[in-house]
Amino acid sequence: MKKKTVSVLLASAMAASMLMPVSAIAGETEASTEAPTANVAGEDEHTLSVYAWDANFNIPALKAAEADYQKNVDPDFKLNVITQSGSSDVENAVTLAANAGDYSTLPDIVLFQDHYFQQFHTNYPDAWKDLSGAKDVDWDDFGAEKLSFSTIDDVHYGAPVDNGTAVMAYRTDLLKEAGYSIDDMTGCTWDKFIEVGKAVQEKTGKYLLCMDGSGNDLPYMMLQAEGESQFTDGEPTFAENDKYVQIISKLVEMADEKILYLADSWTDYTDQAIMGDMVAGVMNGNWIIPTIEQVADNSGKWEITSLPTLEGGEGYASNGGSSLYITANCSKPDLATDFLAKTFLAGSVETYDAALQNGGVITCSLKAGASDVYQKGVAFFNDQPIYTKIVEMGSKVKPVEQSDYHYQARNYVGTAIQNLVEAQDSSEDSVKAALSDAEEQLKFEMEG
Amino acid sequence: MTKSKKRKTMGSIQRRLIPSYIFLIIWCLFSVFPLYWMVTAATNTTVEVARGKVWFGLHAAENLKNLMAAQPLWRAMGNSFLYAIFQTIFCLFVCSLAGFGFELYADKAKDRLFAFLLLAMMIPGVATMIPLFVLISRLKLLNSVWGFILPQVATPFMIMMFRQNSRNFPPAILEAARLDGQTEIGIFFRQYLPIMRSTYAAAAVVTFMNAWNAYLWPKVVMLDNRAENMPMLIANLSNGYKVDYGMLMMGVLFCSLPTMIVFFVLQKQFAEGITGSVK
Amino acid sequence: MRHSSLKAKQDRAGWLFLLPATIMILIMSFWPMLQALITSFKKGPSTRMVWADPWYNNYARILKDKIFQTAMGNTFFYLIIQVPIMLVLAMLLAQILNNRQLKCRGLFRTMVFLPCATSLVSYALIFKSLFATQGLVNKVLMNLHIINENINWLGKAGTAKFVIILALIWRWTGYNMVFFLAGLQTIDYQVYEAAKIDGASSWKTFWSITVPLLRPVIVMTTIMSINGTLQLFDESVNLTNGGPANSTITMSHYIYNMSFGQGVGKFGYASAMSFVVLILVAILAAISMKAGDKRD
Repeated sequence: MKKKTVSVLLASAMAASMLMPVSAIAGETEASTEAPTANVAGEDEHTLSVYAWDANFNIPALKAAEADYQKNVDPDFKLNVITQSGSSDVENAVTLAANAGDYSTLPDIVLFQDHYFQQFHTNYPDAWKDLSGAKDVDWDDFGAEKLSFSTIDDVHYGAPVDNGTAVMAYRTDLLKEAGYSIDDMTGCTWDKFIEVGKAVQEKTGKYLLCMDGSGNDLPYMMLQAEGESQFTDGEPTFAENDKYVQIISKLVEMADEKILYLADSWTDYTDQAIMGDMVAGVMNGNWIIPTIEQVADNSGKWEITSLPTLEGGEGYASNGGSSLYITANCSKPDLATDFLAKTFLAGSVETYDAALQNGGVITCSLKAGASDVYQKGVAFFNDQPIYTKIVEMGSKVKPVEQSDYHYQARNYVGTAIQNLVEAQDSSEDSVKAALSDAEEQLKFEMEG
Repeated sequence: MTKSKKRKTMGSIQRRLIPSYIFLIIWCLFSVFPLYWMVTAATNTTVEVARGKVWFGLHAAENLKNLMAAQPLWRAMGNSFLYAIFQTIFCLFVCSLAGFGFELYADKAKDRLFAFLLLAMMIPGVATMIPLFVLISRLKLLNSVWGFILPQVATPFMIMMFRQNSRNFPPAILEAARLDGQTEIGIFFRQYLPIMRSTYAAAAVVTFMNAWNAYLWPKVVMLDNRAENMPMLIANLSNGYKVDYGMLMMGVLFCSLPTMIVFFVLQKQFAEGITGSVK
Repeated sequence: MRHSSLKAKQDRAGWLFLLPATIMILIMSFWPMLQALITSFKKGPSTRMVWADPWYNNYARILKDKIFQTAMGNTFFYLIIQVPIMLVLAMLLAQILNNRQLKCRGLFRTMVFLPCATSLVSYALIFKSLFATQGLVNKVLMNLHIINENINWLGKAGTAKFVIILALIWRWTGYNMVFFLAGLQTIDYQVYEAAKIDGASSWKTFWSITVPLLRPVIVMTTIMSINGTLQLFDESVNLTNGGPANSTITMSHYIYNMSFGQGVGKFGYASAMSFVVLILVAILAAISMKAGDKRD
């Protein structure tokens, strides 16, 4: 009898040991892991926490704003930057918190991809706080296109950090070798671009353009440069859009002629195509510039200009970019709003100059873009004052219809392009067929 | 005379093994080369790595310095050790207890329960991730070692391994201990545990490796940077507008060393333990 | 009387030993599975889900989903090509390493096993760098004049599949080899001696003695590999991101994309697909167990 009791006791104690002392031991053993969920939010009244990604780009910009606010407003202010491996981590954090019905796991502020914000706002409206409390903000100072992502029913939610304005960068030395100059390229047609591309490939063995095949951002930018969208009244319109058909056809043709290098991944795009010196031209959001600058040997050989268009004339577009958003979990909305209002939203020269110098982050505030730092020529780009040029180009980007399915649209179109390239077929009929396929699949996804 | 004959047969045996040696050497080159390349890459600059340099460079110290400046390397290593060690201890305890119970107290009902538990292996982890996150979040275990290990404390695979191995546990010992008046749980601790040490070693190697290398789940529950583990740190290094490959490979090297060391140290027992599970 | 109470006590202890593991699996696996099953009949954003109409709508969608079909095709391609190659190689390596006359066995065994010690995140990075456009593999092939232009390994459907299979073989052959080696070591050496005296060739010995005796191990490694391959995720995400044009995407990867990868998740649909995977794994595991039993 006694033995029985003992064995039952022991066994149940063991079972209990699995569950009970869990919290007790957790407290004793490890300081770094005992962090309760509330720790993600700022600890004291001078501290804000923020989720952000990319230690070489966005995070220096946040540090710059922190220093600015410390110096000019609150010396005790602290910004606790919680590094994420990429934008998708932040999106997942919001999704998970929404699923748990508990936003307390979120930090005060998140850096969020512009293209995804509307979708997340529609689905999880409770996750966000708007910026209506921000005082003395001159919203007209920012490009209308940029703000179109973060404004819902005329209410502002986002504080712009960077600027997604697309640039077309060329290696002037290689163009020269092929018998052209950057002036020939400014405002040229895509047909002319292909002609130059052939010459460059022949004379120098380099591609004139590259694209991350799975990120597939060129079609979107090229279409925006024409002033058009992939969507009409919320529905995808790919095959019906004659300009889009032409654009895809040109891309397939360029891939075929070895004018366009289709990279297999983002790293292939940056590390092999750009840093590996395979290309004479790069077209993307201006945040690609720090990557171009990685190859010190090419200093002075690059210059930037606007995008080619189908009919000729300078094209302007934008790609990527993110803004800061205050979450529902923010316990100090006044501090968070004030911080954003006096740094990024004020177009603070101090914040943006440091962000540019430390992270290569370019503002979309016209005021900040007028600073001395912005006016200076950049040696790497043959002393061209690229930063003012980018801010100026940014103000010319036309807003086009956006969709919650922006990235999905890009994916399906990207798949279509890859299939066409694999089949080496750029005929109008095939392109149309591939695009209607992509459109059908996107519609299938949208209805589910 | 005999000696030379023996040598001759030895020689002829080795000669017959030549194809085996060739195959083995080719295979070993294949399996070790990527690891060798990882080590050399950790000593080169990013441009050298991207261009495929295969020899050691002089930038190891610089890469390590950059790595430590860019990321809290020691904190992530510490977290990884903490998670992996806790998971190993708890998983081994719970699963060996179950394996012991399933094999030595076997009956029809327990067999049926076992088959039912095996079903848990077959669902893709992605499917249960959200409900699990909600559960862990409600238990207030986010960012804690418990949030990390609880879903992996009892795995059908480990229970199966212990159950298989328990067949080698002589029932005579069980009977003798019972006659001795030992309690059932006493038998587990005093007889079973020491006899099954090689099984524990094998299970420890497998569990430690899985816990150390876990990425997707910690990414979901470790919301605070202070709780990140090594694979998360590496992922942070590899995603960005520009990547420093030398530094990244230094991180990969740090992430790979502990599991390799664990394997080296427990190699012999590991082999024995696995042998027990396939008998 | 005394005997029966003792028996009952032992019986109760037996159940108590199972208790912690059973409770943990129930809470941490079956409870989430049940929730996923319920979710699979719902639709809409995760915070405001409603029942799908008709209730099996998510499952019906799978039949019309071209990408899921592609993903399923890819996954089965990996299963049919990679698993047999890997298991045969693992068995071959185990057979060689089981030879007592072989020198440096420990060293060889360690080297064969070593790849499994690297983490999935790390090894994907290593393979990605090796097969980069200007990476080492292309450089070597160029120098040997086997190719005269860099191959974009991960950018073409065929080569990308090849790299994934190669990576899988690299990572998992050693792991399976350990199980085979362990199985071989339980076979009495005298069985071989007897076969040798009977004049059986080593090939025949392998097929008629080794393979039948290894059957339990073969069944076990086959089930493990089927399970692992049907749930294949990391390689597809980290090496190729499913591309180009979804030619390498796996079922788990597609399920992940539907729930986390691309904006707001479609959790109902993703859960439905997960249960399709569960059923496939269960069927294949049952088949391989049956096949293993029959060869008696």
